[in-house]
Parts: sequence; structure tokens; C-alpha cells
Amino acid sequence: MKHQELAIKFYKEKGPKHDKALWAIRQKRDKAIKEVKEWEILRQKASEIKDYVIENLQKLVDEFIKNAKNEGIEVYFAKNAKEHNEIVLKLLNEINAKKVVKSKSMLTEECGLNEFLAQNNIEVIDTDLGERIVQLRKEKPSHIVLPAIHTTKEDVAKILNETNTDPTYLTRKMRELLRKEFLSADAGISGTNFLVANKGYAVVCTNEGNADLGAILPPLHIISVGIEKIVPDMKDLGLFLRMLARNATGQAITTYSTIFGKKENGKRVIILVDNGRFERLNTKFKETLKCIRCSACLTTCPVFRRSGGHSYRYIIPGPIGSLLAPLKDKNEYKDLPFACTLCGSCEMICPVKIPFSKQLREMRKYVTKENFIIKIAEKSMHSATMFKLFSKIIRLTPKPLLEKAISEWSKYKALPAIPKERFIK
Amino acid sequence: MKTALFVPCYINELYPDIARDTAILLRNLGVNLEIPLNQTCCGQPFLNSGYESSLPQNFDEIFKKYDYIISPSSSCVATIREAEINSSNKTFELIEFLHDILQLKNLIKEHPPLILHNSCHSLRSLLEASPSELNIPYFNKIKNVLGCKILEAKRDECCGFGGVFSVKEGFMSYVIGKSKLEDLLNEDNLKKIKNTPIITGVDMSCLMHLESIAKKENINAEFKHISSLLLKGIK
Repeated sequence: MKHQELAIKFYKEKGPKHDKALWAIRQKRDKAIKEVKEWEILRQKASEIKDYVIENLQKLVDEFIKNAKNEGIEVYFAKNAKEHNEIVLKLLNEINAKKVVKSKSMLTEECGLNEFLAQNNIEVIDTDLGERIVQLRKEKPSHIVLPAIHTTKEDVAKILNETNTDPTYLTRKMRELLRKEFLSADAGISGTNFLVANKGYAVVCTNEGNADLGAILPPLHIISVGIEKIVPDMKDLGLFLRMLARNATGQAITTYSTIFGKKENGKRVIILVDNGRFERLNTKFKETLKCIRCSACLTTCPVFRRSGGHSYRYIIPGPIGSLLAPLKDKNEYKDLPFACTLCGSCEMICPVKIPFSKQLREMRKYVTKENFIIKIAEKSMHSATMFKLFSKIIRLTPKPLLEKAISEWSKYKALPAIPKERFIK
Repeated sequence: MKTALFVPCYINELYPDIARDTAILLRNLGVNLEIPLNQTCCGQPFLNSGYESSLPQNFDEIFKKYDYIISPSSSCVATIREAEINSSNKTFELIEFLHDILQLKNLIKEHPPLILHNSCHSLRSLLEASPSELNIPYFNKIKNVLGCKILEAKRDECCGFGGVFSVKEGFMSYVIGKSKLEDLLNEDNLKKIKNTPIITGVDMSCLMHLESIAKKENINAEFKHISSLLLKGIK
């Protein structure tokens, strides 16, 4: 099913509530960023740093690898998802791991790691509360920071076979269940929010501390990360930490923001993943590599708030997903750049100033095949005489035919009346 | 100062009165306005649908001899501005021109309260007002120019029209529009209005979409483009 159909289905079931919940987060975010009076200066700086990162990506990757190795971290570079998954499997097999606790990582979702490990008889337990909920529901996250925002407390009670739907009760229940998994896991896998090139550190931000438990308790900690997560130095990290949580959820900073270096009680491994990123640098969509996955563009999007994340069918939904998904599969996701009113709210809210409107229009071009009739129509519109002829034809066309021509409009509302006379005749 | 009126194609076809009102308004204000008869479309419908278009370049050719090009539509002006052509920096939305160039304010101070729909291109592309996403001081050029009591929606979000979006995702377009209407006509706003509420804005395309929803939902409101209100109010 395409976005248009899935959106209708979701909206009828949960749309207004979902919209309200996300708008509340948007308002919290507005309040939080308004407390930082230099916010717009920070956005400009963040944008410039990210421009520098994508222009110097190879250099920064090399610098990071060198410094992380010096720090005592094992580093791998994976060209694609397959290579990434195989490296993870090799590392887990080396210690004969059977159970892995995982904290949120959009990259492992991008690589399909959970499914791959399951095929290889390794159990993966997602430990972020929201991600665990969707895992138990056999679904994918519907939002990159709030993975279970599409579910209700009743949904959660159901998967836990509980009759009590009190959110605090359910959270404690989940915590109890997850604690056992942490203590019995053979390895931890996490994503990372930032890599600091000049130090070789990986920085993980969570609100539940689940990444920290997964990193510290088992003897092996694997970090899977897309190469664009690099920032040049610690100073830049400070800037991004001030922006990330504020823009995402309206918190001044995430509850846990941990800088990982060498693992004292075992082995820490970082797998840097390319998976098409270097190639994207040479396309019109290279600015999507500036994204820090704060998710504010999803939360603010008037379509996303009502259609839900699953209507995008890609692991990263919303405006940023509509730019990333067609790069993975042009035909499958060609409807996504059109699931958008070009309202520009994503562009205004983006902490690194990705020019969303321009990119979304460019993406529409990328997924749209040339059309001979449209080409002729476009050419004829260069002439006022031709335009006038076209206008006459429209006025002579019976209304039912016009309604049929734009059926998606006329299904829901009347066409405006066409006056007899034009202004410029 | 050579000044031209750019009549968006959908205004010319569907709302000729708005073009006429804008022209008379500007002339009443002393602007020596020309209306090039060979003008056509800015290219927005093609560019937003994923097609190439050289209509902005065509626009450049038609309007090249003018110092100011004024248009009663923020989305068409935004298309020209974003096209990065010669006309980009001399094309103005009507309110921008009145506010920034003619520096006029409080033109219809005595008018009863109006409900203003801040169209996305006006708000987030032309920055005619401060969008809520940014941390910048509040301003609204449209309010300044009108000068009368202005009521706004609580959320400054999109009305759901989106041009091609409204013919690709009719349902979503409709439900976003419906919640926008409910917000524009929220209880606090209605308390301040005596007669039938008037919803105005700088983009008739948004208003056209909202009006068609209002009709379907039997919502009592009038939809009037800002140029018509200004013309009537100043007289």
C-alpha cells in the first residue's frame, strides 16, 4: 500500500490523538529552544560544522579511526549493510554469544541486523522502552526518537498480558523484565549519536540509560554507526549536545549522555558504516548527510502527525525519510516526496538547516519520469496565446470530466466555480 | 520606478476580481502600475510536481524592464524568488511591497476583527511573519499593514492545500484543512467577533481549499483575499 492509503487507515484509527501527542512535544520543544536566546546562532554554527564534515568526510573518518584505535577501541569499516552484519556476526561468534541487548540504533535498522542475527540463532533484545514495545508487537519503530508513539497504554498492557493499564505500572514491569535480559546478555550493541574525530570517542544519548547498561555489563560492546555522525572535536560536541535533546523532546539534555572510549572490563568495537553515504556526497542530496536524527522534522510535519510513521514504510519516516527512502529504492518509495505540502516547517525546525523544501522538490524530480504530454503543456505555457486556448478548453470541458481529472480533490470537496471572464483576457 | 503586476495564472482563471482589486488598490496608492498582457505562469505547478520547467526564465524575459514586480500570491512570489533568476529580488508579494517598499501601515485600522490565515509560503519562505519554529522576535507584516484587530490560529501550521498534494492525497489534505479551520475559528477568536467571521490571507489558493471544506462541513465563514479587504477598507 502507498502512503495515501496507509495514511487514511492510520488517521481513522489514531490520527487525531497522534497529532495531539506530537504537537504537545513540538510545544515543549518550542519552549526549550526559546530559553536559549542564541538558538538561531547555534543553528547557523551547527549547519556550518556539518557542511565542513560532509566536505571533509574521508579525512575525518581517517582521523577518527586513528584516534579510536589509539584510545583502545577496535574499529572496522563496513562498505554496506551486508558487510556490517557479517562483522557483527563474526564478533559475536568469537565469544559464542547467544543473546544480545541492543539499544536504539537507526543504523542497525537500516542494515536489517535484528533479522540477520535471528536467522543466525542469536537472540536480540531491544532495550529502549519504545523499541521493546514495537519489537514485542513485531513492528518497526514509527518515529526515530519516539518509536512507539503510535501505540496506546492499552496496546502495551496487551503485549505484556496485563490488565492494569497504568503507564507507571507498565513501565516498571518492563524495567523488571529488561533488567533480567541485561544481566544475562553476552554482548551489547548500540548506535551512537556523535563520533568525536580528534579524540576517537563515541557519544551515546539516551533517557533510560539502557545503552549504558548494554555497554558496561556484558564483556563485548559493539557500536554500529553511519559515518556522517562524525563531528570534528569536543567543542563541536558541546554545541550539538545543547541542541539535540532540546529540538527532539524539549529537554535541556538527555538524561544520559555518555562519552565512550576504551572499555575497561572487556572489548569495545566500533563499526563505521558507509552503505551508500560516500556515494551520496556526489549527488544533489548530499545535504541529507547533515542530519543528526533529532526527529524534529517528523514531529512538526502536519502530514506525519496525522498519517503516522508506518505510512512511510521506510525505517526513517517523515520529511527526512522522504529524502532517504527513494535513494534506497526509487520505485518503491516514489510516493513519499509527494506526501508533503511543502509547508517548510521541517526546514525551519532543522537544527542543521537542511534545505528541505528544495531537497524535497529535487527528490520529486528524481522519482518522476519525464512525461511527453507534460513537456508539451509546459512549453505551451510559455505563450500567453496558448495559455488562453488552454483556458478556453477548460471552460468548455464538462464539469464531471474536470472532477474526474482531479478525482482526489473532488472526492472530498467541490471544485471552485470557474468565472466566465479572465482578468487578462 | 517601473512597476508591473504579476497576475498568478490561477488568480487570472479563477479569481479575476482579486487581480482587479490589487491593480486598483496599487493605483489608488499612487503606484504607476503596468500589467504586461503576455504574462503566463511562474512554473510552480511543474516544479512542485517533479518536472523541469523554464517558465521562471520565461517570466524573467516578460518582466525584465521592470524595477518592481508585485503579485497577490505568496507561493508564486516564492517560486520566483527561489528560482534564483534576475527577477528574484525585485518580485514582491503585495503585502511585502506595501510594508517594505511603500512603508505603509494601519491601512484599515477601523475594520472589525479579521481572522488571518498565515500561508506557509508567506510565513516560512518570504518571512512576512515570524514562524513559530524559529527563536526570533514576533512580527507580522500583514498585521502591521492592516492595522485592525487580527485574530490568528493557535498553531501556525499548514492548511493542507499544498498544490499537488491536494490532488495526490485528497483525504490528508482535507483533514489537515479541517483542523486548520477549527483552529482559525477557535472559541477565543469567535468570542471577539460579532458578525460572520471573515478569514483572510495573502494566498487565495489556501483560502480556496479552506472555503471548499467550510462549504462541505457547513461551517459559517467568509473567505476574502487581503487585496479585496484593503481596497474596500481604504476607500
